[in-house]
Amino acid sequence: MAVATATDSSSPMQTLADFGKSKSLRTLLRVLILCFIAGAAVSSRLFSVIRFESIIHEFDPWFNFRATKYLIANGFYDFWDWFDDRTWHPLGRVTGGTLYPGLMVTSETFASCWPPAFSGLTAFAAYLLTNEMTTNTSAGLLAAAFMGITPGYISRSVAGSYDNEAIAIFLLVFTFYLWIRALKLGSVLWGALCALFYGYMVASWGGYAFITCLVPLHAFVLICMGRYSTRLYVSYTTWYALGTLASMQIPFVGFLPVRTSEHMPALGIFGFLQLVAFIYYIRSSLSGAQFKAFLFVGLGAVFGLALLALVAMTSAGYIAPWSGRFYSLWDTGYAKIHIPIIASVSEHQPTAWPAFFFDLNLLIWLFPAGVYLCFQDLKDEHVFVVVYALFGSYFAGVMVRLMLTLTPIVCVAAAMAASQLLSTFLSVKSPVAKDPEQEDATDVSSKKIKQNAGSLRSTNSPYVGVYSFMSKGLVSGIMTIYLLLFVLHCTWVTSNAYSSPSVVLASRMPDGSQHIIDDYREAYQWLRQNTKEDAKIMSWWDYGYQIGGMADRPTLVDNNTWNNTHIATVGKAMSSSEEVSYPIMRQHEVDYVLVVFGGLLGYSGDDINKFLWMVRIAEGIWPDEVSERKFFTPRGEYRVDGEATETMKNSLMYKMSYYNYHTLFPPGQAQDRVRGVRLPDTGPVLNTLDEAFTSENWIIRIYKVKDLDNVGRDHAAAASFDRGHKKKKAIKKRGPRTLRVD
Amino acid sequence: MTSLFTFLFLLFAAVAQAISSSGSRLLVVLEDVAEKTQYSKFLGDLEGRGFQVSYETPKSESLSLFHLGERSYDHILFFPTKAKGLGPNLTANLLIKFINADGNILLALSAQKQAPTAVIAALSELDIHLPSERTGLVVDHFNYDVTSAAEKHDVLLLPTPGALRPGVKDFFSPATPNGELLAVPQAIGQVLGNGELLTPVLRAPSTAYSYNPKEEAEALGDDLFAAGKQLSLVTTVQARNSARLTVLGSADMLSDQWFDAKVQKVGGKAAVATVNREFAKRVTGWTFNEIGVLRVNWIEHHLNEEGQGNQSNPKIYRIKNDVTYSISMSEYEWDHWAAFKVPASDDLQLEFSMLSPFHRLSLKPTVSSEESTTYSTNFKLPDQHGIFNFKINHKRPFFNNIEEKNTVSVRHFAHDEWPRSYAISGAWPWIAGIGATVTGWSFFVAIWLFSKPTGKGESKKTR
Repeated sequence: MAVATATDSSSPMQTLADFGKSKSLRTLLRVLILCFIAGAAVSSRLFSVIRFESIIHEFDPWFNFRATKYLIANGFYDFWDWFDDRTWHPLGRVTGGTLYPGLMVTSETFASCWPPAFSGLTAFAAYLLTNEMTTNTSAGLLAAAFMGITPGYISRSVAGSYDNEAIAIFLLVFTFYLWIRALKLGSVLWGALCALFYGYMVASWGGYAFITCLVPLHAFVLICMGRYSTRLYVSYTTWYALGTLASMQIPFVGFLPVRTSEHMPALGIFGFLQLVAFIYYIRSSLSGAQFKAFLFVGLGAVFGLALLALVAMTSAGYIAPWSGRFYSLWDTGYAKIHIPIIASVSEHQPTAWPAFFFDLNLLIWLFPAGVYLCFQDLKDEHVFVVVYALFGSYFAGVMVRLMLTLTPIVCVAAAMAASQLLSTFLSVKSPVAKDPEQEDATDVSSKKIKQNAGSLRSTNSPYVGVYSFMSKGLVSGIMTIYLLLFVLHCTWVTSNAYSSPSVVLASRMPDGSQHIIDDYREAYQWLRQNTKEDAKIMSWWDYGYQIGGMADRPTLVDNNTWNNTHIATVGKAMSSSEEVSYPIMRQHEVDYVLVVFGGLLGYSGDDINKFLWMVRIAEGIWPDEVSERKFFTPRGEYRVDGEATETMKNSLMYKMSYYNYHTLFPPGQAQDRVRGVRLPDTGPVLNTLDEAFTSENWIIRIYKVKDLDNVGRDHAAAASFDRGHKKKKAIKKRGPRTLRVD
Repeated sequence: MTSLFTFLFLLFAAVAQAISSSGSRLLVVLEDVAEKTQYSKFLGDLEGRGFQVSYETPKSESLSLFHLGERSYDHILFFPTKAKGLGPNLTANLLIKFINADGNILLALSAQKQAPTAVIAALSELDIHLPSERTGLVVDHFNYDVTSAAEKHDVLLLPTPGALRPGVKDFFSPATPNGELLAVPQAIGQVLGNGELLTPVLRAPSTAYSYNPKEEAEALGDDLFAAGKQLSLVTTVQARNSARLTVLGSADMLSDQWFDAKVQKVGGKAAVATVNREFAKRVTGWTFNEIGVLRVNWIEHHLNEEGQGNQSNPKIYRIKNDVTYSISMSEYEWDHWAAFKVPASDDLQLEFSMLSPFHRLSLKPTVSSEESTTYSTNFKLPDQHGIFNFKINHKRPFFNNIEEKNTVSVRHFAHDEWPRSYAISGAWPWIAGIGATVTGWSFFVAIWLFSKPTGKGESKKTR
């Protein structure tokens, strides 16, 4: 299959570039190279297994794993109607209707879904896409190689990262390939194929909206450039009609394609295309002057009416306005103020500049060159690259996470630039001026050089300038070194930065050997073995999926952040005093509370460092009861030591984190190694919770929620009585008596 | 062998049931074991009801409430002692621990002997307060016994208490009251906090007050401990685990002397017999779980819809399902389980709740037998999916707490449980639209295929 397609798509250039060499040999070589690329792509994703062990990484994969287990155990229809009563206690989650089932169904169908395997397919898809863009044979192979090992994509598809993105990026690239193919051929068949894979993409990842917006945008730009064609009409309408129907089959998407603003561009362009087609038809049967008048009046009226209808329906509530997540794409400060829950995720932060270089290395500077090359020969598909490049870059700059959608186009464009460079400079033959055969053999750039011949002196005599062995050797040598450095960089980044499972931490012992810190799994195992099957665990939502997956216990909130109020409730319980938190925990039937504390080990991703987000999210719902300001000292510092504010010291989170912590140290020496501060000698007092478990390095601390006091006292009084203190005289000598009312 | 064992077990269970619903080991703590002769009738009654009574003094070395972490006794009865403390075996913490371990305590106090500090500390944890300096005597100048306390007015004569309020079963009055009086000699009054676990059984009349006979013999000080209805003479506490504690303000009430005494109220026409013996039986019966004990025999809920499996106690329902919930309950009456009848003007309620109740329904008795009553109700589940509880939270004075929670998940409609599109009349225009489009397109295709182009058709085809 792979062989056939490869031959197919590259056949046009075969005829151009084939000089005496056997076609079958080239095909064989190409297949071999692609196989090697796939091999390299897969093996570079196995660092995590070698470094740690075969374990599921991060957070979301734990849910995917659980969902897949459910699917395999109960079959597809039960999965489709799955009501999950072990998360979001006591609300439950209509999981079957609120997930993207693509990954689970894929892995059920193929017995196992192994994300690295999909990276091989992604590389192949990048190869196909690039071949649509250029006639240069090597560009596709380079793109495949880039796609295979670039860290920007590896970050989400290492072994153990059982996540939607693993298959979604393959589908993204492949859908774009099919779209370009359909557009080029104006074929209903390819358009339908494109819609099919678009449907698969919708089933797999929420990022499908990227396709939903990019394809119409491409079509719109083409129309604006005066490039309307029946090919465009056929491919777009086929894709839109079938793709939308396909996407509506996913319960989570449902009627969103006709009801939300994110999907409106696709619908709008669909209508616009009908108009344009109609106008083209009218133009063919009307005279020029009549047509002009018709165009202005008719088009203006229709456009105005459509816009009015959109505004009216949006304000009437039929069409949902842009969601907060989308606003945060335009205004990076928006989320922090209005939707802290989105801003609190590290993946949703704006990208730092070094991250581009870190994830893409040399591709990031080859990328603009590739985009520039597209302008050289601006066909419809090159417009796509330009549009994609512009949008992808913008979004990648706004959100770290969207680096993933930028990566494919960077690989394609960079491969075009690199192959252009290499094929220009690796060619031993020098062109003979005015030789038509040579002109064919060499590439676009040589034409360019000739076109620019008058401008630069050095290019006037090509034999001394560009075509000398010296310059060829130098440029190709440097390029080779760059490519080798790129491979080194990718390998290093993959093995060091993107292969840690985050459930297991690694540290170095003084003698250089690796020490594994396994507190998370220790704690989850404890929960699994020591608590009731239906013991409800309250923790911050980051750990919800892991508790569900590893400890198999119901949680209050998890990484599927569908209910902001419920998360805010947990935030309120964590950030309020015990007296306020206890009734909340009772109401939600919480049995255990789990906190992550890094103070002993210096693990900075702990709950005290995330605490302000909990406060902010809770404040969003209960501004009267929780106030972020109260967690800062009058001088505006966020402190946890003796100078911490009373609100901070009384908050449940603070108490749970530092409970009994001072006993580990000699008096006066208690230290928090994350915040780097010395703690007071007397630790916090907990009345409503009992410490149940603390992991080896104190990273995870689990507390049991006490029952109501058996004889009706409040917990503080009961605890003080248990410690042997006598109750103070309850009846006051002065003041009015409190009388019993029956 | 197994059957023999089962038989023996059942036999033992039957024997154990014959007295109290929660065990028969009763510890009586006295100043001196010889004192028990004063209470021979009272203690004899208890033994007659099947209690295995052990007598200990607070100082006894062998006295231990717990053995290897288990309770050594089911119930404790304290008579007044002289010592200020009760020793290391009966500290306040141990008493609270005993209650937390489902043990029952009857505490008989007396105005003549100071209450021990351990008892005072334990009571103050329960929000029951005794007069300061541990002494206080309740007197009433309008309700005293003229024969025995003509001078001191410290033998109160009270009618039997009656129901606490409408809807609360009266456990402490004789079945047929005919004007007998309760003699409460030398009582120490208690002041109760506002906790819902406390219930006064016998309150002092509005004309009574408490004073300190040592310091205030001549004139009352400024600081009156309490007066009137705020003084409780007999107080009951039922902890959340249904362990019971009764504070009896007057230990003398239980003595032989007052069991058969004839008393005459001030202004009363003739001397009448006291009802102390009956009252003592009922107070001990309640404290030691012989009456006012409810038992849930079984709970069942099922789907109440035609064509469904209607299996018992499913784990999951769907929104808007019709559901039947039933609960069978019995009440323990001295030596046997009887059908539980909810007192008039009270209700047994079922809550169907997630975070807060979505339904709160009264259960109606459906089946009644000798031993049990079945209460049930039908209702439609709310249009809200989630993890719900069928919750019975029946907490009434003098009945033990019934808190039953059955968790079920309520799921959303499955994809194939919605009505079909043709069943919805509003969808007919759309269905007609689809039909029109399909037929129209078929016609178009048919015409396109079968109409032979004329004239220039040939060239079009090649194009």
